Amino acid sequence: MASRDVVHYNTPLQRVLSVLSVVFVIFYLIWTLLPFVIMFVSSFKDLLEAFKLPAVGDWAGIGVFFEFTPTLKHYQTLFAENNFSRYMLNSLIAAGGSAVISVIFGSLAAYSLSRVDFRGKSDLFFWIISTRMAPVVAVMVPLFAIFRSLDLVGTLPGLILAYTTFNLPFAIWILKGFFDNVPYGIEEAQMVDGATRFQAFRSILPLVAPGIGAFIVLCILFAWNDFLFAAIIGSGGAKTLPVATRELVQPQNIQWGAIMAAGVVTTAPMMLLGLVIRKYLVTGLTMGAVKE
Amino acid sequence: MFYKPKKAVYSQISRRRFLELGGYGATMLGTGSLAVGLNSTIMSTRVQAQSSDDAKWKQFAGSKLVFLSENTPPSFAIREKLKYFYDLTGIEVEILTDDLPVVQQKAGIDLRSGTADYVLQYAQDKPIGAPFADFYADLTPMLGDETLPQDPEGYGDEVWFESFLDACGRFYDGDRVIALPYDAAIACTFYRKDIYEANSKDFEAEYGYRMEFTKDSTWQNVLDFATFFKKKKDAGAEGPYGYAQHQGAFAWTTQLDIQRMCFANGRWLDYDIDDRLGSRTPGATNWGDEQSVLILEKFKALADVSHPDNLANGTLELNTVYQSGNIAMQVQYHEFAASVEDEATSLAAGGKTGYAPCPKGVPDWIRNGGEAVNGTNCGIGGIAINKNASEELQRAAYIFAIWSTSADNQYEVLKGLGGTPTRKSVLQRPDVIAAQQRPSSMPNALTFEPVYDFGIKQPNFVLGPKIPKANEYHSIIASTTQRMLAGELSPAETGAELKSQLDALNEG
Amino acid sequence: MTETLTGIDMSVRAPEDRFRARKVSTEVEARPLSAALPPPGRLNPAARKAYYFYLMAPAIALLAFISLYPFFWLIVMAFQKGDMGAVEWVGFKNFIDLASDDRFLSGWVLLFRYSAMCLFLQVSIGVLLAVVVNGSRYERFLVTALLMPMMMAPAVAGLLWLFLYNGTFGWYHWIFHSLGLLGSGSILSSAKTAMYAIVLVDVWQWTPLITLIALAGLKRVPRDQIEANMVDGASPFRNFFAIVLPNLYPVLLIAVLLRFMDNFRFIDHILVLTGGGPANATKILPVYLFEVAFKFFDLGRGAAIALVLLVVTIILGKILVGVFDRPTAGGR
Repeated sequence: MASRDVVHYNTPLQRVLSVLSVVFVIFYLIWTLLPFVIMFVSSFKDLLEAFKLPAVGDWAGIGVFFEFTPTLKHYQTLFAENNFSRYMLNSLIAAGGSAVISVIFGSLAAYSLSRVDFRGKSDLFFWIISTRMAPVVAVMVPLFAIFRSLDLVGTLPGLILAYTTFNLPFAIWILKGFFDNVPYGIEEAQMVDGATRFQAFRSILPLVAPGIGAFIVLCILFAWNDFLFAAIIGSGGAKTLPVATRELVQPQNIQWGAIMAAGVVTTAPMMLLGLVIRKYLVTGLTMGAVKE
Repeated sequence: MFYKPKKAVYSQISRRRFLELGGYGATMLGTGSLAVGLNSTIMSTRVQAQSSDDAKWKQFAGSKLVFLSENTPPSFAIREKLKYFYDLTGIEVEILTDDLPVVQQKAGIDLRSGTADYVLQYAQDKPIGAPFADFYADLTPMLGDETLPQDPEGYGDEVWFESFLDACGRFYDGDRVIALPYDAAIACTFYRKDIYEANSKDFEAEYGYRMEFTKDSTWQNVLDFATFFKKKKDAGAEGPYGYAQHQGAFAWTTQLDIQRMCFANGRWLDYDIDDRLGSRTPGATNWGDEQSVLILEKFKALADVSHPDNLANGTLELNTVYQSGNIAMQVQYHEFAASVEDEATSLAAGGKTGYAPCPKGVPDWIRNGGEAVNGTNCGIGGIAINKNASEELQRAAYIFAIWSTSADNQYEVLKGLGGTPTRKSVLQRPDVIAAQQRPSSMPNALTFEPVYDFGIKQPNFVLGPKIPKANEYHSIIASTTQRMLAGELSPAETGAELKSQLDALNEG
Repeated sequence: MTETLTGIDMSVRAPEDRFRARKVSTEVEARPLSAALPPPGRLNPAARKAYYFYLMAPAIALLAFISLYPFFWLIVMAFQKGDMGAVEWVGFKNFIDLASDDRFLSGWVLLFRYSAMCLFLQVSIGVLLAVVVNGSRYERFLVTALLMPMMMAPAVAGLLWLFLYNGTFGWYHWIFHSLGLLGSGSILSSAKTAMYAIVLVDVWQWTPLITLIALAGLKRVPRDQIEANMVDGASPFRNFFAIVLPNLYPVLLIAVLLRFMDNFRFIDHILVLTGGGPANATKILPVYLFEVAFKFFDLGRGAAIALVLLVVTIILGKILVGVFDRPTAGGR
């Protein structure tokens, strides 16, 4: 306590700084959250009510934002007329499927890469991660040709495979980091006790399980939010939520209310998932470079 | 030149091979695929000619077709009726509806890679028809073929509205027809009668003529109206802007927006080519000549007194601005009338909106000696058949194409979701005639008089330029005129810049 | 293992000395990914290897299939010209044409300008935010609130902001207009401001990532050092620049590289908001590539652009991986 007091002596400068920082945080919070508030509220507004704005500069008129009769009709439109429950299921299957496949194949590969050493390994490793870094637009046309010849265009298996193109390298890369942190001695001890190699591998899985769980979620997040693959390879048969949302921009009417509702429907599940794996988020989003 | 006649079959095949190799490779790698090949199969045998009508319709029973369409009303309405088609033919049809740019991408990939995932395609005239004309099957052998069911009205130019078959069906040579008119978007003027009336006195005091809109109203009048409203706005009055342009992100409609004004004044065209058929080798462009630079000046002048969001508003967004009451007039596609007349989404509904042909050219603005006309342009969506599909599938697809463009179907679509007919006979039905007057049960019909009786007739209608590189052409026009509107280029510089870019495009 | 690793590091080792001074902190934050902790395999090395290769084979085969084929396809296409079904070999013409293609060149300029603006704002705001939030009573709540934008699909974010920016009914337009930042025209309607519009969306979505990364870094800043400095009478500013910031450099470098590469990859929100316009003001290179490949269907030119873009991405990737590995190379 005493030492604290020494450090936190209150100069005027510090007082100003702390006030400034509170102001800054409040502004930043508003800036971050306001779009969500507007999206959420607008999803309950009729189109003409959503058009209402106060006169320019009339800050007191902000109240009109809340002057409306809430309606659920946009959500009804989504689910009754637009099949959004199906698109949601598509999103879930495509994202979940690719996440599971990526993590299964990825953990096998990551484990091996972590345990074995050979010439050109770092090149192989770099190649793996570079497949994830490649701009999607650049390879979309040839990828489409491949998927076409496999009859995978417009199907959920096709979309799962498409998402695996970016989730698998990600999984290998991240999971190798996890396996690297598990001492080889554990397996060695198991094998000395007579376990097979595969049993030894299984025995260390519990040690990396929390990480694997978190990365399944991250893979789901990446796939769920994808647009380009879903639009072109998912096509009609495997329409996902972002694509369906974009389609509400219809030639004769931009259905803003429905778009806002679709935004809520698309974003809310990912926010919840994001909170669940909050601890691993930084690690995941920086490809494992930064750990909290 | 860039176009190689189809002699180059050899390299075409090698590319297809190349693409297939990917498929074989994939199969060998065992990623779980089952088959390489067409995803649509034909189960039945072909009917030899003149058996019963029913047999003709049913001859491809069991086959499956995918129709890649834009998300416009006809496709939504027809999707609801697919059951009837199935009962009639036994052919299963799946309709995919996407945004036009996405349709463009998917169609392009499908056609280019020699495949036929989408046997039926929505071929919007210039964005899709012009670049891919050679990839679509020629329908002429099937039109009237006795072994296929046929539409009782037939398919001659005279059964469709003037020029529609040319617009979406004929590209570069007059012998092939690659698409039948499926739906149409024709430009016409939407204006707020109530606002015009309220302002007419003030306007007349200043400009000496009444504020009203007729088929004789010119672009000069539009400029005057817009200037009048802009002045009021600048003076701090509440109220709408007078005019707004389609200069937003979608290049094609941006090009159409400026084309209307160019054509109205002296029937100016971008290239000296046949406007109906287009050309694979358009040669040097006319952009940069005296006439075009003058129109660019006028276009800029109009932009300066228009709604400030011109560069952000594409056709759709512009319609929203009109619906929300922020502009007193727009030149818009007639299929938008239904949304404007919808009380739930529009402040311009309920008899407030008047419909008129596109504005006319101004004699003083004409330098090329041409005529002043009500320059009107269009997007005619055709239904086309992918040439990569097997002959059997093409014939099955043909049955759907004629069924979906039949007068009965068009009438249903118009009544239901508000489509736009392409067959003349639809307009002769009594309740369609009645719907052209308020109160209308089919709001799109309110536009039919200015559009079908006037706008699309010669000399007002412009179709082109139909060139293989239409999409890049649109993109260059859009971005360069936007630079002018943003103040980066003067009209003369814009003309010169367009000329140099477009000539380079057609040489490369 | 070490031999192959240094193979990579050689190329990027040059600036390493800048980091050596801060080795202590980097070692904790930037986790060595390609270095296994224990030197594995003193047991029967030859027999073991085959086993591990079997385990990794499926993943490698799958990746090879979905990445090598497109890559070779791009190379072949880049030397062809295809129009209307006919194809011919044109040598390097596609690449030569790019050199005189204004849209290609300005695509690069815009890509760098866009990235520079995004990164500058994200890093400065993100770090500032991290410093302010770090150790606050409300840290958990604040961080949770902050990370929300990252969870939104970029395409959906684009639509949301299109709604907010709309000149007729958009609330953000109203706010900008009322504050006098904008005239009556919306932010997307001017070639001068459209770039800011897409930058703002990127900043909104991804500043939180920088904040989270910086927060992770800040937790490792040696407190005693700061306190000692403060006792010596150093101002908070000096503390920040002398102690905190140097400790953050390595993680921020990674964050910047990652974000920069993402700008090559993710153009969803730009396609939705501006499509590259108005007047090409937001047509960054990937957007132009998208246009060439999917609107003009000029596959030869598209492949040439894609290859150039890929090469640059690979170089950036090499640098990034070099940064990842750096602490290991420093010697553990």
